[in-house]
Amino acid sequence: MTKKHSVLFLAFFILIAASVLPAQTPPAVFEQPLLVTSAGQSSGDAQIALQLTKKASLTATLSKAGTSKDLENQKTLVLVLGASMKGLGSAGLDTNKEKERIRELVAEAKRKAIPILAMHLGGAQRRGELTDEIINEFLPAAKMAIILRSGNQDGLFTKICKSTDIPLVEVDKSLDAVEPLKKIFKK
Amino acid sequence: MKQAFAIGLVVWAAVLGAACRPQKARLPGPPQDRHAPFNYIGAKGMVVAAHPLAAEAGLAMLKSGGNAVDAAVATAFALNAAEPFASGIGGGGFMVVYQAATKKVTVINFREKAPAATTPAMFRDKGEKQAEWRQERGTAVGVPGMLAGWDYALAKYGTKRLSEAAARAIEIAETGFPVGPTFSQINKDEYEKLLKNAGEGTCYLNGGVPYEPGDVYKNPELAATLRRIGREGIDVFYKGDIAPKIVAAVRAKDGIMSLQDLAAYRPAEVEPLQGTYKGYTIYTPPPPATGGLHILQLLNIAESWPLADWGHNSPAYIHHLSEAMRFIFADKERYDGDPDFVAMPLARLLAKDYAKEVRDKIRPDKTAGAYGYGKFDPVQDKKENTTHVGVIDKDGNIVALTQSINDFFGTGIVPEGTGFLLNDHMADFSTDPDSPNAPRPDRRPVSNMGPLIMVKDGRPFLTLGSPGGTRIFPSLGQIIINIVDFGMSLDEAIEAPRFFSYSVDSKVRDLSVEPRLPEPTLAALRALGHKIALKEPYDKYFGGAQGIMILRDKKILLGGADSRRDGVGAGY
Repeated sequence: MTKKHSVLFLAFFILIAASVLPAQTPPAVFEQPLLVTSAGQSSGDAQIALQLTKKASLTATLSKAGTSKDLENQKTLVLVLGASMKGLGSAGLDTNKEKERIRELVAEAKRKAIPILAMHLGGAQRRGELTDEIINEFLPAAKMAIILRSGNQDGLFTKICKSTDIPLVEVDKSLDAVEPLKKIFKK
Repeated sequence: MKQAFAIGLVVWAAVLGAACRPQKARLPGPPQDRHAPFNYIGAKGMVVAAHPLAAEAGLAMLKSGGNAVDAAVATAFALNAAEPFASGIGGGGFMVVYQAATKKVTVINFREKAPAATTPAMFRDKGEKQAEWRQERGTAVGVPGMLAGWDYALAKYGTKRLSEAAARAIEIAETGFPVGPTFSQINKDEYEKLLKNAGEGTCYLNGGVPYEPGDVYKNPELAATLRRIGREGIDVFYKGDIAPKIVAAVRAKDGIMSLQDLAAYRPAEVEPLQGTYKGYTIYTPPPPATGGLHILQLLNIAESWPLADWGHNSPAYIHHLSEAMRFIFADKERYDGDPDFVAMPLARLLAKDYAKEVRDKIRPDKTAGAYGYGKFDPVQDKKENTTHVGVIDKDGNIVALTQSINDFFGTGIVPEGTGFLLNDHMADFSTDPDSPNAPRPDRRPVSNMGPLIMVKDGRPFLTLGSPGGTRIFPSLGQIIINIVDFGMSLDEAIEAPRFFSYSVDSKVRDLSVEPRLPEPTLAALRALGHKIALKEPYDKYFGGAQGIMILRDKKILLGGADSRRDGVGAGY
């Protein structure tokens, strides 16, 4: 094998290894029970998050338009980021009211020292002006983020997480989030 | 090793060879930017539909000698397999058929009917829970008319058997296909309903969660159901052993449908409603499909306005049309019902002098503030749903078909082992027991559908239709004006920014717009008294129109398909 071949082989090996090794999942930092709420009223995405926590055998409650009161006895707040005009309409909320609700919830979580896990499960389709506003405002409050890779094509999540030292877990399919969820929650 | 290398080389050479082989000259395909206006071109025939597999199914039927009705039904079946969230055999619709030989237009009404046990106050009595009972419980399910309508159309106007029309749909359901972003997003939006009614193990979810783009969706149970229907005829659905499964599924969710309701279902063939706009004649289904009626009203009102002088999507243009929509909604609430049971003043609503009366109430400098009658039902404001098919065959026969299971994924209720979704069209009845559109036994709920065929000098010029609930008539009206008054090509007219408004209890409601409209325009509209609600730039809230335009001088057919959904055309 020539030197050139060796280099090519090494590069190929690194490429393959990088693609098959699982993304590094941070250690268990969250506790149960957890409150799942939507940030932007893409309620289907919040329901998916709840389903994933069930598959991960976690004790979770869904309150799509949760308020500070819902944080009573909770040890983790899961913010499912994603705006839906249809969802906002169904919930009787407008953009400003929704943002205000999340601000209060995040502030209350901070007061109670409840860590926040941010999730974005809508992928590329659930990106847009309003969703991006929500991501920009509320992702920095999270202790960790789990997202669908397709929703991070422009690197927005990577940029924010890097600049705020938030561990970011990217998955290809929403079901792939079950394993990281199992790992980051204490039993 | 050498042998493996040699085999690899041969395979590689074959691939390269295939790639380098001279190709037949091809028309350019759709642009990378799916929203860029693009007209599909054909010479002999054209199919437009909301999913490429469905359009291809229709085209294959045309090429195999089927006529426009055969192709429309093949496309409709294929939509059940490829776009199951918008229509299917658990729903209903309206088909407009133009027969070139006789130059006659007819309408087949296969809208769902209310079960015999329906009562006028059945939804009002549910109080705050009425939305759930109208959309997600068994009471939401109307007696499906889809198969009866398709079967009737094939038997009377087609040339192929039901099994032939269903064949491609069976293949699609069996082999599956990778879902696109539209399917995935809608699947996520309707996830709660599917989880609740179809269950975690349903094929409409992937391992209990919504499909992601690229995931392969297949529905072998639907394939088996369609195969049986093709083999045994539609009686297996309405009177055979599929019927008890439908009734059991509906009743398990507190519904009221019976075997007798299914056995008694019949489609109806009726005369089209017709009206004119600037020298064009428009044919469309009469009520209970009200989309066409209100398109004609809108065009009648707009006909005397200097639209071209105001400019396309100018503040004056949007202001006047929005005000007209609000007055039409007042009429809609007051008059719309099932004409088999309720007298409707159609001639009055369609009269040009009535349009002038409405026009005279519209002020150029501010919103009217009061819009006559009306109790617009907010439940209907959320719909994007439904689907539209347009077909022209080599002989010039035309079909405009709009069909639906109402909300996306209907009720989410799937009769056991059948693979198809049941509609929630009972939600299209009013909750007001005194309304002409109150739920009553055997009635068809008012529909917003408005498939249409436009004729100029006695010859078909355009076929058009769209999903979109209450936005159907405003969107189709805008597309027609884009073509007639602003000279746009078909797809340019379809992709142009849209707006929508309505009135409730005589009061003005938001003006919803696609934010591609420039800010100075929006500011001018605010100054006139409109409260602006911004939607997505290409929002399926405004529908997903499909159309075919016949350019006789150039001897070509143009297919336009809306990028707000996954619409495509397929011509030859």
